Amino acid sequence: MNGIPESHLAQEAIAALVDGELSGGAAGRAARHLSGCVQCRMAVAAQREAKAALQRDIDLAVPGDLLSRLKAIPFTTDVPGSGGLGTLSAGVDGLTLSGRSGSWAIPLAPAEPPARPDSGGRWLRRGMTGALAGIGLGVAVLAVILPADDAASTGPVAGAVRDADSGERTDIVPPVVRTLTVGSTSSLPAGGTP
Amino acid sequence: MQPEPAAAVAEGWVAPTWEQVVRDHSARVYRLAYRLSGNQQDAEDLTQETFVRVFRSLADFSPGTFEGWLHRITTNLFLDMVRRRQRIRFDALPEDTERLPGSSPSPEQVYADTHLDPQIQAALDALSPEFRVAVVLCDIEGLTYEEISATLGIKLGTVRSRIHRGRVQLREALAHLAPGRAPLAEEVR
Repeated sequence: MNGIPESHLAQEAIAALVDGELSGGAAGRAARHLSGCVQCRMAVAAQREAKAALQRDIDLAVPGDLLSRLKAIPFTTDVPGSGGLGTLSAGVDGLTLSGRSGSWAIPLAPAEPPARPDSGGRWLRRGMTGALAGIGLGVAVLAVILPADDAASTGPVAGAVRDADSGERTDIVPPVVRTLTVGSTSSLPAGGTP
Repeated sequence: MQPEPAAAVAEGWVAPTWEQVVRDHSARVYRLAYRLSGNQQDAEDLTQETFVRVFRSLADFSPGTFEGWLHRITTNLFLDMVRRRQRIRFDALPEDTERLPGSSPSPEQVYADTHLDPQIQAALDALSPEFRVAVVLCDIEGLTYEEISATLGIKLGTVRSRIHRGRVQLREALAHLAPGRAPLAEEVR
C-alpha cells in the first residue's frame, strides 16, 4: 500500500539519517524512500563521505610552551576568583565597559571632576564648557559619520549630559551646551569633594 | 569494593587541581580550536583564552558539564574572533594594526603540525564559520545534535541544516582541491 509517491528526503533528514538522529518512524520512511531513489542515495553517500573524511582526524599534540602557559594561568591571570570579578562589574560598571568601547567611559567623567569651587570657578567653567562642547561636537560628528551603528554609543553620552544639567531639558547642540554649564556650576558647591 | 574515584563522586565532588584540569582537557580544546581556526597561532590564542575564562569562573563550575562548557567557550571565542576580523576588514581602519588576519600556511606546514590531511583542513577553512562549527562539533568532536544545539544556542532544525550544508560545501571544496580524489558516482549498496 505504498500508493502515495513520496517526495525526496529533506536535506535536514539526510544529514540526520547519516548521524543516526532520525526517530524510528522517520528512519523507516527514509529507508523505504532510499530503496527506490538513486538521487537521495547519492546525497546520503555524499554526507557519509564528508563525515568519514573528518573522522580520520587524530589527536593533536598540544605544543609544549602552550601547555606550560596554561598551567601557569593561576599565576599570570589578574582578577582571580569570582568574588573579585563580581565586585568589579557591580561597583564600577562603567569602567569595565570603558575598556571595550570608549563611549562608556564618558558618562563617568561629568560626575567625577567636582573640583574646589572657590579656587578656579572661571577656569573650571571654561574647562567644563570645553569638555562638554567637545562631547557635544563629538556626538554630532559621530552622528554624521556613522549613522546607524553609533546610535547605541551616543545614547549614554546624551543621557550623561542631560543628567549633569538636571534643571533644563535641552537638545545637545554646541550652543546649548554653553547654557548647560551654568546649571552645572550652580550645582557644584553641593557635591564639592577634593 | 569501590574504586577511589567512584567513591569520591558518590560522597561529593572534589575539585580537581588546576594542573589536572589542564592535563585532562587541553588536548581536546586545542584540537577543537585548531580545526575551527585552521592555524596554530589562533588555535593557541583560543586555547589560552578558553582556559583563562575557565579559571576565572571555576567557582561557578558544577560537575558534569565540563566538556559542554569548554565546547561552548571555545566555539564562542572562535565566532567572536571571526566577527571581529570581519568588522575590521569592512571598516578598513588604517591605523588598527593590532591584529592582522592570520596568513594561511602552506599545505606542507599544516601537515607538519596537524596530521590532519592538509586538504581536509583547507576544505574546512573554506566553510563559512557557522557551518564549520556545526560540522566540526558533529564529526570531529562527536557531539549529538542536541548537544550542538545547546552549545551554539541554535534550534535543532538549524543544527541539521547547517551540518547538511556544511558537509555539502566540504565535499565541494575537497573536490575542488583534489579533483580526482572524491568520486561521487558510485551508489551506496
